[in-house]
Amino acid sequence: MDSRAIVQAKLAEWNITPTEEDLAQLVPAYENLLVWQQVVEEMLESRPMSDGMEMPTTEPAAIHDLTRYR
Amino acid sequence: MTLNSRDLAYASIDDVSKLIERKELSPVEVLDNTLARIDELEDTINAYIHVFTDEARAQAQAAEAEIKSGAYRGPLHGIPVCIKDIYESGPTTCGSKSLLGYEAPEDCPSVANLKVAGAIVVGKTETYEFAYGFPTNASHFKPTHNPWNLDHECGGSSSGTGGAVAAGMAYAGMGSCTGGSIRWPAFCTGIVGLKGTYGRVSRRGVFPLSWTLDHTGPLARTVTDAAHMLRGCAGYDPQDPASANVPVPDFTSKIGRDIKGMKIGLIKELYEDNCDPKVKQPYDEALKVFESLGAELIEVPGLTVRQMQAIEWPTLFSEAASIHIRNQRGPRVEEYNPHTWQFLQYGLLVSAGYYHNAQRARAQVRDSFLKSLNEKVDVLMTPTVGFPVPPILDESPGLSIVAGDFTVYTAIFNQSGLPAMQVPCGFDDDSLPVGLQIAGKPFDEETVCQIGYAYEQEAGWIHKHPDM
Repeated sequence: MDSRAIVQAKLAEWNITPTEEDLAQLVPAYENLLVWQQVVEEMLESRPMSDGMEMPTTEPAAIHDLTRYR
Repeated sequence: MTLNSRDLAYASIDDVSKLIERKELSPVEVLDNTLARIDELEDTINAYIHVFTDEARAQAQAAEAEIKSGAYRGPLHGIPVCIKDIYESGPTTCGSKSLLGYEAPEDCPSVANLKVAGAIVVGKTETYEFAYGFPTNASHFKPTHNPWNLDHECGGSSSGTGGAVAAGMAYAGMGSCTGGSIRWPAFCTGIVGLKGTYGRVSRRGVFPLSWTLDHTGPLARTVTDAAHMLRGCAGYDPQDPASANVPVPDFTSKIGRDIKGMKIGLIKELYEDNCDPKVKQPYDEALKVFESLGAELIEVPGLTVRQMQAIEWPTLFSEAASIHIRNQRGPRVEEYNPHTWQFLQYGLLVSAGYYHNAQRARAQVRDSFLKSLNEKVDVLMTPTVGFPVPPILDESPGLSIVAGDFTVYTAIFNQSGLPAMQVPCGFDDDSLPVGLQIAGKPFDEETVCQIGYAYEQEAGWIHKHPDM
């Protein structure tokens, strides 16, 4: 499935039909998003368990609790 | 009163408030001078969406009477300020044609706090559409022109507040910030922008862009004025789920102390190889000033531009899509700028797995900064923005903006929630302002102000104003 079709399919889940002008912006931006997705994945910290299995050592940011770091 | 009109317009809150307290200057005189300034410059700058002439004059007269009676409230009493038109307070458009005619039922808490402190709200200022879609010469609400060079923009999304404060059309104002929208317009207009710690200032009643990244805070012409404004607007709000139940200190408490022996952490990994020389050269000169003041510069770990982008944009875009999707199904969708609609569609392309991975990476970045701040340095520092002030555009750059270096240095402190301040540090070859960014420990805005003030006083950029 090419990027254009994926973008159209993802937006169809929201009953949105992008125009050609929208797609001209969205398709390259979506391809860039996939690159970033990989960048983030490579940043994530975990510890090995066994046979290629890992346990995440970080949780999603919950910055509502900043008072604990004062 | 011995100040002429221009001098009064560019005087600091700290100076004007002392004259007001001593009853040597009336809040009515100050307001009238500000309104005359707006009348003179608004067609040129386009900073305001609404100006509250009658309401502001009534507030100024009330302040005058109160001060005469001996009930002086503090440094914001009788001071004209402006509010980004994304805060609910009177007519509120959020910079969008889709909200023309909307009147807020009440002041949002941060504006209400400023009024309790005695500030006079003189008007509501231009903003990017919902703090998001770029204003261009083709959009319904036009861009604010930079007082230093009218062909250039004021940054954003708090563009009108930046332009108004820099041009002496208000003494300070409120901005909101998801990736840099307080510090970036302050950079572009040569003033101070102070984003307090996440939770320091209520966000309730300020139209959200990204709940986990949004901050509210002031822009002002000096560090001390920004500190006064932060104290005026801050405070616990039990109805804002992110609001921190912590005391609001006097943020000027460390101002004037020397910074000898203090340690400044430079996040060179983020900016060393990509910052435009027009910005980098004045920034490097500023670092020498910090050294001359006795501070020690230490390189600390950070993250790369690409890592920052990979965390910031999916977070911001997907949360914005969640915020706007129901409005997009409503009858006023056609009134959004077309490129704002494209930004919102883009947010729907981010998968849940990617979003959560981005939040994990974000936690790691936050912890890395906290480790540096707890073990090695007093504050962190970068240039505020890595490129010169851009020209006003006829058309939106569209989604290509997210692939560029747009606000990459400021956004790291939205991701981490740490307090951060932009301070002017000179001018580039085109006589447009350049600035540096100082970030501190959670809820330690006082140290950020201390270090910003020490530089500001030594460097002297504080005394330079646009030629208008």
